[in-house]
Amino acid sequence: MTTVATDAPVSVAGQSRLRMAQVLFGAALCLALAKGLLPDAMIRLPEAWVLPFADWFNAVFNFMRDDLGLVHVTRAFADGLDWFLDVTANLLYGKNRWPRIGPIPWSVIAVTAAIVGYALNGWRLAALSGLTFVWIAVMGQWQWAMETLSVILIAAPVSVLLGLVMGTLAWRSARFRAVLNPLLNVAQSLPHFAYMIPVVVFVGVGPKAGAIVTIIFSVPPMIRMTLLGLQKVPTEVIEAGQMAAATPWQLLRHVRLPTARTEILVGVNQVIMQCLAMVVLASFIGMPGLGQKLLQLLQALKIGRSFEIGITIVLLAVMLDRCSKAWAMKQPVHMEKGTPWAVRHRLLLIWVFATVVLWGLSLIFPLLHEIGRREALSLADPLDVAMDWIIATLDPVTQWLRWFLIVWVLIPLRDGMLWLPVSAVLVFLMAVGWAVGGRRSALICLAYFGLIALSGWWDRAMITVYTVTFSVFIATLIGFPLGIWGSRSDRRAKTVLLVCDTLQTFPSFIYLIPVIMLFGVNDVAVVGAVVLFAAVPLIRYTIEGLRGVPDAQIEAADMSGATRKQTLWSVRLPLALPTIMVGVNQSVMFSLFMVIIAAFIGTQDLGQEMQRALSSSDVGKGMVLGLAVAFMGLMVDHLVTVWATRRRKALGLG
Amino acid sequence: MTDQKPVISCRNVWKMFGPQPEAYLAGLDPAASFEAIRADGYVPAVRNVSLDIAKGEMLVIMGLSGSGKSTLVRCMSRLLDITGGAIEVEGHVIGDLSERQLIDLRRNKMGMVFQSFGLLPHRTVLDNVAFPLEMRGQDIHARRARAMEVIELVGLGGREDYFPRELSGGQQQRVGIARSLAIEPDIWFLDEPFSALDPLIRREMQDEFLRLQEMLGKTIVFITHDFDEALRLADRIAIMKDGAVEQIDRPDRIVMEPATPYVAKFTEEIEKARVVHASALAGPVNGLSLSGDAVDGSKTISQLARLLVNDERSILPVAGPDGGVIGALDKQRALDVLFGEAQ
Amino acid sequence: MRITSLLSASALALASVTAAQAQDSSDPIVIPTHNWSSQIVMSHVVGQIFESMGNSVEYVSTDSQAVYESVRLGDVTLELEVWEGAFGPAFEAAMEKGGLHDVGDHNAVTREDWWYPMWTKEACPGLPSWEALNECAALFATPETGDKGRFLGGPVDWLKHDQERVDALGMDFVVVNAGSASALWAEVGSAERDRRPVVIFNWTPNFVEALYPGEFVEFPEYVDGCKDDPAVGPNPEMTYDCGNPANGYLKKAAWDGMEEKWPAAYATLKNISFTNPQIAEMAKLVDIDELEPEDAAAEWLEQNEAIWKPWVDGGA
Repeated sequence: MTTVATDAPVSVAGQSRLRMAQVLFGAALCLALAKGLLPDAMIRLPEAWVLPFADWFNAVFNFMRDDLGLVHVTRAFADGLDWFLDVTANLLYGKNRWPRIGPIPWSVIAVTAAIVGYALNGWRLAALSGLTFVWIAVMGQWQWAMETLSVILIAAPVSVLLGLVMGTLAWRSARFRAVLNPLLNVAQSLPHFAYMIPVVVFVGVGPKAGAIVTIIFSVPPMIRMTLLGLQKVPTEVIEAGQMAAATPWQLLRHVRLPTARTEILVGVNQVIMQCLAMVVLASFIGMPGLGQKLLQLLQALKIGRSFEIGITIVLLAVMLDRCSKAWAMKQPVHMEKGTPWAVRHRLLLIWVFATVVLWGLSLIFPLLHEIGRREALSLADPLDVAMDWIIATLDPVTQWLRWFLIVWVLIPLRDGMLWLPVSAVLVFLMAVGWAVGGRRSALICLAYFGLIALSGWWDRAMITVYTVTFSVFIATLIGFPLGIWGSRSDRRAKTVLLVCDTLQTFPSFIYLIPVIMLFGVNDVAVVGAVVLFAAVPLIRYTIEGLRGVPDAQIEAADMSGATRKQTLWSVRLPLALPTIMVGVNQSVMFSLFMVIIAAFIGTQDLGQEMQRALSSSDVGKGMVLGLAVAFMGLMVDHLVTVWATRRRKALGLG
Repeated sequence: MTDQKPVISCRNVWKMFGPQPEAYLAGLDPAASFEAIRADGYVPAVRNVSLDIAKGEMLVIMGLSGSGKSTLVRCMSRLLDITGGAIEVEGHVIGDLSERQLIDLRRNKMGMVFQSFGLLPHRTVLDNVAFPLEMRGQDIHARRARAMEVIELVGLGGREDYFPRELSGGQQQRVGIARSLAIEPDIWFLDEPFSALDPLIRREMQDEFLRLQEMLGKTIVFITHDFDEALRLADRIAIMKDGAVEQIDRPDRIVMEPATPYVAKFTEEIEKARVVHASALAGPVNGLSLSGDAVDGSKTISQLARLLVNDERSILPVAGPDGGVIGALDKQRALDVLFGEAQ
Repeated sequence: MRITSLLSASALALASVTAAQAQDSSDPIVIPTHNWSSQIVMSHVVGQIFESMGNSVEYVSTDSQAVYESVRLGDVTLELEVWEGAFGPAFEAAMEKGGLHDVGDHNAVTREDWWYPMWTKEACPGLPSWEALNECAALFATPETGDKGRFLGGPVDWLKHDQERVDALGMDFVVVNAGSASALWAEVGSAERDRRPVVIFNWTPNFVEALYPGEFVEFPEYVDGCKDDPAVGPNPEMTYDCGNPANGYLKKAAWDGMEEKWPAAYATLKNISFTNPQIAEMAKLVDIDELEPEDAAAEWLEQNEAIWKPWVDGGA
């Protein structure tokens, strides 16, 4: 009874919110049912109302490029970056640029990587780093991998540095933070393609453009994590630093940043993941290497070989991630005074020796210098056979599934979405907003989708909405049970999360071809590809949410005589729900990204238009389409955040 | 104590939190009540505090949480800038120091220990302790040698390569103490250093702390909300409430003669016999005839309990530190302290 | 290996290219590559020819439409396959802005249009006329297009304006854009299993011709202005009411600064001209024989010295 009493004030507000929401739901329903009676303007916005956002963007863009001459600034910056890119490119694959000493033989690089790995964290990391490069060389991917790496080795540190600097600035200045925050929100939900067009104009094509687009995409999470980390440093640690008489700079360098290390490392990890995620996408504007090769191979339906490249990308991601973590955790080794130079620099000497020997050997045995495609091993044949077998086996099922889904689910759904009057959709979204967060949320929902309606891309946006909604629904059906299963024991959780990580790093493009082969060029293939991607965060957050439920609550349930099932449904799931909803939120974000990429299968939504805008270098159109997608993501993000925050508070989870 | 210039001297110190504290303070009646200030949207964390701390003295600042004691000590170390009044440390008005001078002062004079330790999680014990030395640019070998010295001093020898997370709470606080001592400060601030620890460990750390203090003889400002701890350690106690100092005095005087009802309430539950020393309770000799052995004036009444109960004299001589009689103890008064006033 | 081949190549070049010509800049010539095989191989063939002349060459993968902007700005030096149908407008628009120019045609005729494999004709005997195709639209229906026929177009960034044509000619077809060329071939391949009628986007010269015999659909003949002027063509109100040019050009384009900077390479570029069979063979080396583009180019050069040697010598 006491609980009722304490809940009372909450539920009064809640009830009035729900009543308003019900009214709006009713209104939306009426609007939909009375479609025939509605004036045309309420079904679709009349042409005259559509605002020429694209023209405005183009005008601003042209002004910045021509009148402000920003293009000279960006190009000068890009040329500076290009100098660094040329150095790594020369060293790694012998591009004809200063310092003209490359290409370094693969055996030397592999040994260098192994020694760096050893110096950072011992034998295991040495093995991982060394063997990654051996794999690349032996699979005959050396040239491409080095092309990719030559860009990442510049882009990733630049991103980390930029993120640190901007994160620190944002932490110091509330005003800067206020400007930055909405920008980051949009940047993180804007599809990759929207960035590419401006980059082509402002930077040009080639590795530098690839590097810059990669940097643009990987900086936001770094900024956020730096800011978060700095804000979380305990006051006493800072005071201790002040009392140790650290200058402000020393305080930042020795106290704040290192103490924020955990968050910053998450940021670095995200940078690396984003860099490798961009490997394929950036090849659209001239980033050389694995991504470009992967696309070429996929165009020719060479699944096995593109899989090999996918494995390489995952290996590189894991290796770079582990190395950067180990580096950040590394403690300086203390040598007694008077330790001989040779002992203090033992590893350096070993490295110099190994380099000289291997370089020398590689002049005699060219195989140690580079392994050509002809001498290389390949797993492609067995992989292709396996893939063929899978497709042949699944074919009868997928044929039926394809027919069933298209005729009975997808087409009715899509037609339904397209049939709905704009006004009904907007009122419905307001109802959802009101139910979740009251008037403010309702207005936010209205603003986001109202802008989409005003942009004139309503129908295509609805197709995107339908694809994403259905995909997330299916992903929930898959991810939720898997997550519950995975949360049962530490070992399972670890395994499942490892698979999730791998799936997420694996280039999304590789999923596209198998789903086309299974389902053909249609929406089923699109949904299939999106689901593969969207299920990952759902699984991850379900596991984390369920495992994060405090032991005391579970023990209390056990002592109340609840069965395992009862505990799950009455205790664990309700408590984990806020976290799981964050997973749903991420799942929507991932789906939005993937649905745009799925344009390569063939879609009729915003993604297809975006591809078109990319080809015609139409900045304004690309931005409008990108923002339309971003707004969908931001709306869901807002709703889920508001809901989860309230729910957490109600559950006393802080 | 009065013959020397105080090491730290606070004069009408105010620390106000709020939108425009300086302007508000300027127009404020100094006698304004805590509630009145709060009603104006300001928080007077430190309210018109004046006190002096002598060289070598241990001042314990006590109060409930929110009473302003941590803020006051942060004003003394200028981790916070004060809103009004002045604080002098060794004759310098610290509010007027430039950043450079402040850093120099901290590098050479001040050490501080924190309630939740404030250790740098990414540094080993040794590197944490050496941190202040590193900040002042000491060479690596010298600072490691010095850090090892203090680590040995706090009894953590052998654990210098551990990370804070690998140590127990008590051990972590020893690191904190070692760090604050590394630069050999003259002034030592301790902000509730033992309150995050288990009672047993706390006791042990207090003993350890007394041992160190005896050895080092520093000027100490010690914050606690635990009266027992204050009584064990303090030369003088300042009791704070709502940002103001209610009373500042020797422990037995606080117990015997509370200045305000708040202090009285605060000390109500205290077993006075354990606090009050024979010397403090002793009256002037004034021609009283004293016979027999003198009791040790530095003992508390509770330590003298058995003796007092069994002694047949009604007035007992009290001996000072040098053995000479310094006063006369009325046995009945002592027994009242021991068993409570007869109703 | 790379170094040695480069060294020997440049030594050769020093011997063959006399110093009579003004020296080419040592800056690399930047050649763009796109996402279809013949273009990639051709780019490498030409690149390797330039390398044999002592130039340094770099390849950059770019989008096939956006590339003209880059050529114009000198970010890339040339473009080897300007297909009239697909890239004519982008190319001409860039020429208008200035910065690049036409360096002559290949000796090849291109055609890109709706195409069907021969077995489709069995079900729809009226082909290749587009009216007949439209009457058989139901044959091409798939679950997702309902009772309308499905036309599987190329990736949207090829800008084929198929949807505009369907609208302009009032056809009962739905344009479904495949995401990539391989999706097109996969579709034809799977259709072959049960001889299902399909109509897809295709072009010539192309290696697919050898695998699946087929024909282009005959649309109203292309006339100038049909794509811009509604009045031209059968539908007076809409543009794109015609087929693509049946004998389109295949051009080379170069940055205006190329002639001055790399005179020898530019002279060679002017001479370069590939024929339909040669282009088809280059594509085949990659798509069927599974060679790497670089290796395919090397092999082609080795086997066809008689063809390319005169381009170099003629330029000198």
